[in-house]
This record gives sequence, structure tokens and C-alpha cells, in this order.
Amino acid sequence: MSYAYLFKYIIIGDTGVGKSCLLLQFTDKRFQPVHDLTIGVEFGARMITIDGKQIKLQIWDTAGQEAFRSITRSYYRGAAGALLVYDITRRETFNHLTTWLEDARQHSNSNMVIMLIGNKSDLDSRREVKKEEGEAFAREHGLVFMETSARTAANVEEAFINTAKEIYEKIQEGVFDINNEANGIKIGQQATPTNPALPGAGGAGGAVNSGCC
Amino acid sequence: MLNNFKNRFISAIEPDLSSANLLPDKFPYGRPPFLQLLTADELRASANHNVRPIIVPRDLNLLPWGTGYAECINSGKSKWNEDQAAFCRQVLTDPEKKYPDLPYTYFGIFDGHAGYGAALAASYQFHDILHEMLVDCSELLLPRDEVNDNSKSHQNPTFPHPTYFQRRVSRDELIIGALESAFFHMDWLIAQDRNYYRDAGGCTACVTLFIDGKMYVANAGDSRAVLCQRRAGAGLAVSVMQSTADPNKIPTNPMDDVNSYPTAYSADHTPETERERLMNVARLKPQLMGQHYVAMEYAKRPHITDMGKRILCRQGTMKGWSYKTLTRNDLRIPVVNGEGKRSRLLGTLGVTRGFGDHDLLAINTGVQIKPFLTPHPDVRQRDLSQVVSIPDEHNEDGDYGILVMATDGLWDVSENDAVSRIVFQMLSRYPKEKHRYTMAAQELVARARGKINDSGHWRLADSKAAATVDDISVIVIPVYQYYKEHIEWTHNDTRELERRRRKAAEGNMAQEAVNDFNDIAAGEAHVVEERPNSQQQQVIAKGEQVIAVTKQEQERQKEDQHVLSESEETLVEKPNDNTSLQARLKTVTETLQQVQLEARAKATFEEKTVLSAEATSTVTTTTSANKQRNNRKGKGNKQ
Repeated sequence: MSYAYLFKYIIIGDTGVGKSCLLLQFTDKRFQPVHDLTIGVEFGARMITIDGKQIKLQIWDTAGQEAFRSITRSYYRGAAGALLVYDITRRETFNHLTTWLEDARQHSNSNMVIMLIGNKSDLDSRREVKKEEGEAFAREHGLVFMETSARTAANVEEAFINTAKEIYEKIQEGVFDINNEANGIKIGQQATPTNPALPGAGGAGGAVNSGCC
Repeated sequence: MLNNFKNRFISAIEPDLSSANLLPDKFPYGRPPFLQLLTADELRASANHNVRPIIVPRDLNLLPWGTGYAECINSGKSKWNEDQAAFCRQVLTDPEKKYPDLPYTYFGIFDGHAGYGAALAASYQFHDILHEMLVDCSELLLPRDEVNDNSKSHQNPTFPHPTYFQRRVSRDELIIGALESAFFHMDWLIAQDRNYYRDAGGCTACVTLFIDGKMYVANAGDSRAVLCQRRAGAGLAVSVMQSTADPNKIPTNPMDDVNSYPTAYSADHTPETERERLMNVARLKPQLMGQHYVAMEYAKRPHITDMGKRILCRQGTMKGWSYKTLTRNDLRIPVVNGEGKRSRLLGTLGVTRGFGDHDLLAINTGVQIKPFLTPHPDVRQRDLSQVVSIPDEHNEDGDYGILVMATDGLWDVSENDAVSRIVFQMLSRYPKEKHRYTMAAQELVARARGKINDSGHWRLADSKAAATVDDISVIVIPVYQYYKEHIEWTHNDTRELERRRRKAAEGNMAQEAVNDFNDIAAGEAHVVEERPNSQQQQVIAKGEQVIAVTKQEQERQKEDQHVLSESEETLVEKPNDNTSLQARLKTVTETLQQVQLEARAKATFEEKTVLSAEATSTVTTTTSANKQRNNRKGKGNKQ
């Protein structure tokens, strides 16, 4: 199960917006209504296909509580994509987006693709944040936007895959320095050596070439 | 099957270790099971050297008492995290069910070097070995009466003169011995495997055993266990001050909202701290140094041009310095050189005790290092029953303290004081949360790891000094939670015993039961005493019949030594001390009459309420069956 690229993602946002549930829905295709508080960091992984290429997503799900913020910050490093999640039924989670965005921009590399996610779209009756507001925020800050439901799985695949597509496009455009692992991208065995500057056997080569799972 | 697969997977992604050595791994690489990093993906994500994520258990209920754990990988010095941690809860049981069970809990932390094999093997196997060692002496550990403590009888001046070739062995010594032999056995096991499995490297070992209301810390190497205690409230402070042996240890920083102090429960074993032992090895077996080393230390590294000159040095185990005329032999490398964290044995190894390293050779010279190493741990213990402290909402751990066990990744950059302070700061920040001890562990790791700066160096957040680049693992154990569990368990246990005895005492088998009790008590006393006892022992147990029997016996043999058994408590009385015995007897009789009245009332009540008749009858049957056995055993012991 080798892959062409490995993208590292990070999921951020206030506590209780459904970050862990989104991850679980995407990697395991199941929903867990009661989820323990995430204290440290959780990892998930799934293989997807873009443009006929196998791409592995390695997803870091972080703790949303304010108290964990300083530790969470260190995980932005080396992420190629970020899902910034708020809860459409809780206005304050939307209000905190600016802080999250500042944090992300400050601690990540500048090319990181950020996708804004309004989660819990199945709870439309309790909605506090209009879809248009999310769209406007995304437009203003140059983000991709989508409303999802971790419960019904609506748009969950699309959220992760669209982010991957954008990262992939950036690679094609040569925006990402794919030889620098700190950008959150690793090259697997499948990658066609279109780029002459590919690492022959770098320090990270051992892990990359194994191509497991 | 899965292991096989994992094994192959690890071999495939571990080219740096497998080059010359095609032997398989004994255990598949992984992180401690309670972290539940089960897939290769999770393993690999957790081993990200650029980000160094701090990993805490997903399910906080897997560790007992809310114990916290956190770990973080090195910054790239080895592909995998070579630290390991383990815990295990076990129960020692008497196959004859004569004595109540003895549960225990073990935590271990192992810091690997030159490969992950040794630490991994220790995390998989050490608790099994320890259990074996404890089971070995369980017949001596399981009977638990007050006399067992034997400090009382030990110091009893009227005790008969001890025989010269027989020593009394205390329960503490048995447990310490079990730990020590488990350490030696673990090292031996790794030695056995080296022909069949890939070179395991070596590891340090720091192990804590909670058993019978006590805490034992066994350590070999430079991991460390530190007990963090605090004083809260001025009123309490005075009493704690008095009970603390060294008040100088308490830091007085007005900036701290908590006043805490650490007590080390282990000593680091480095070439510097173990200089004397290493020099003795070198002195007694100079052939171990080959032609390359010298059991000498120089104030300044001598040069060939210094030949014939006087140089300042210390030879062998000397603590001070003296002059010596330099000869050609003195130009060899000192067995121990360097200071502090940079001290090295044979110029190679920075730690001098632990498991493994059987094939480790010194850099450049190829001299065998293992003969200088030992798996022998230092064991320190703390009797929690001696702690006088009532935990309250302001000081929920009381004087029992919080035990922090961590590998040198933490201690290299954190003083014990600071660790203690951080632990209590975090605990007061999260006063009620289930994950408060995990938060403390996470914070300790986060601080030791620091932050990466733009040039890729890890720096401490507060001082810009270098943070640790090593693997970091931290366990934070709330000791009082263990003790609470222990008390609860002992309480239930006592009640169960009482119930059994009461059941046996009532009914028509009274006289038979009395005889049984005499025998049981005599048998217990014998096991406890562990010495040949030619003197006849007498036993006073519950019930009027017992008292009657005892009185008759006592009249007959006034000069003999008497052992009184009052409920759970056995008292050793002086021979000839009839007055005190009489007095004792009187109180016992009174107490027993009372107890029996209560017991009868209770029994009637139980009958009325038809309290699980079946279960009760089973217990009675078991009890009488046990008694039959005990009867025989007791008699055997008597003769």
C-alpha cells in the first residue's frame, strides 16, 4: 500500500465542535455521540485518490480547550492542511475563529491550506450561525468553506478530499517545497520524479520509502 | 499473526538497525499498551521528530487511581522512542485460601540506549518475573498480623538470645529481595536472548511497587523517582514541619501559590556517582581494562610531553587529589572521565546500571563494558501507614505526596524542586478533573521538550537554554489514591475474616472450632516467628471455651512463653510476666464476651433476614475444610 504523497493535516477549533467526530467519521466511517475530551493529540490516517495518485492523509486531531492551547500550537508545525472547525449551533465557537486563524497563521508555514468547517449541519433547527456568515468569513480570509455533519457524514469526505486537492494543486504549481518535511508533505515511492530535486536518500528517506499502509 | 506482520513491518522501516544483524526482534516495537497507539500509522505519527507530539493515554481509565502519563520522542537521535513504560496489577493468593489475598500494583519506566530491544523486553517481561519472585515468597508474605511487622518483637530485649546462624527476615527484606532478584533475572533473560534475537542494546530501570500499604522504589540507572509533597494552610504547616526530617529542603519562594518540596526516592547511577564501585572493579580485575585504560583520574589530561613531571591525580577510589610522577602507563584513558551528565565509563557509556548491554564495546578500543555494569537496583521504601496526615479538600493528597517517575529526558533539564512545583501548580489548576494527573505529566514533558526555534533547535520556553533532545517519559502517581484503596481492601478483608471466624465459632461445633482456632493461631504464629521454637505456645482466641481452655493450660505451665491471639492481633508476652498476662487475659475475656454477644445478636439478625443462605453455607464449608487442613498443619508445626 504505497503512496505517492503523504499530507499532514491538523484539525483545530473550540472544544466540543466535533473535531474528533469528524476524524472518526472520515477514518472509520462511524459516529460516536459521546466522545471523551481530547487531552493530548489523536492520530488518524486514510488513503485517498486524487488525479489517479494514491495520497495518504495523516490527520492530527488536537485538544480544543483553551488550557491546551500552548501544546496545540506546537502541532501546527509541519502541517500541509488545517481544518478549522466551528459548531453552527454555538455562536461563540464562530466568534473565536479569528483567534484560531491568527494562531494558525502565526505557527504554521505560510502555504498551509486552511479549510473552514461549519459542523453539525444536521442540527439545523438549533442553528445559530447562518451558512452565509460562514461563507463570508471564508471569503474574507481566503479560506475554503463547507458545512458538514459528522453524525450523518454529510460533506465529511468532501471536506478532507477538497483540502487534499488544493494541496495537490499547490504542489503541481510548485508552491510547496516538497523536499522539506516541515511543510507537511512527504513523497512516497509512487511519486513520479517530475521534480529533479527529489531526495535520493535523505534523512527522512527511510520512512518515506517504506511506504507501509 | 499480527505480531509477525508488525515485526516484518518494523524491520522494513528500520534499516539503520538491521544492516549487520539479521536476527529478528524478540518483541514487535510499540508504545506502552495503555496509550493504545495500535496501528503503524499512529506509531509513525507519534514518532515525528520535527513536532515531537506529547502523547497521553486516550483512555484515562486504563491506569489506576487516575495516574497520569505523558511521553515525547527525541529530536532525531534515534528513529524510535527508546523509552518504555509499563504497569501491572496483580494479586498474590494462597492456594489453600488460608490467608487473605495480597494485591499489588507495579509501575516501571525503562530508558533504552543503543536500540529499543532491552527496554521493550523489560516492559513486556519484568512484571512477570517480579510476580514469580513474589509468589516464591508468598507463603511468608501472605500471613499478615501485626507481629509480622516484627519490629516490635525485634527490639524486644527479653527475647531469647538469637541463634548465631539463623537470621530473622522481615517482610520488607523479602519484598526488596524479590525486586532485586527480579532485576538480576531480567538482565539474565536479555543475555539469554542475544544469540536468537537482534541486539537489544541496554536500558535503565526504575520500578515502583505498591504492596501491603507500602511503596518500594527500585532503581538501576539514571531515571529517577521523586516524591512531591506540599503543605497547604498555615495550621497544617507546623505539624508537617516537625515531621519533615530536613526542613532545609523546603524552598521558600513567595511567588509560589503552593509550597512544595521534593524527596528523591532513587539515586542516579552514572560513572560519576558510581566512581568508587567502578574503580574497585578496575582495581580488582585490571585485565578488564585491557591495555587501554587506567584506574586513575587526572585534574588535567596528561600529554606525552608531561612524562616525568608531577601531575595532580586521584588513583583508584581516592576522593581527594595528590601528586604523582607521570609514567607511560598513565597516558592511557581513565576508566571514568568527565563530569556530571557528561561523565563516561570507558569513554563510552553514561549510565552504569540497568539491563542489557551484553555485547557493548567501548568506542575505539573494543573493550567489553558489561563487566563494569550491574543490574543491581537501589531499593527505597516508604511505609504509608506511618504517614500522619488527613487529606482534605485543600490538600487532597495529604502528606502521602505525588510520585513522579521519569527518564533522564525530564531530569536533565528540570530540577526536582521545579518538578514538584509544576506538579502542584497543575493540580491546583485542575482541582477536580479526572485528567489532572495526566495534565501534570503533560506539562512536565512539554516544559522539558520546550519549543523549536527557527534554526531547528529545541529551547526551554522560559530561559532560552537548551531543552532536552532525548526521549521523555513521565508517570505521575497519586500515592494517597493507592493507600485509600489499600485501606478499603484491608477493611473488607478484616470483615470477611471476622465473619468467617464468627460463623465457625457458633453452632454445635464450638469446642471443635476452639481447637481449630488454637491450631490456626499457633500455626500462624509459627510462620510469623520463623524460628525454631521449642517452647510450647499457647493461644487465647475468641469465645468462652477458648478462655476456659487457656486458663487451664496456663495454670499448668506458668513458665512458658504465651502467645495471645485476640482477633487479628497477636501479642508476644514475656515469660514469667504473669501479672501482665492476667491483666491482659481479663481485658481479653471482657472484650470477647462483648464481641460474642454482638456476634450472637448479629447471627440472629442474619438468620432472620435470610441473608444469602447459599453463599453463607458455601463459606462455612470452605472454612471448615480449610480448618481441617490447618489443623493438621498446625499440629505438625507444634511438634
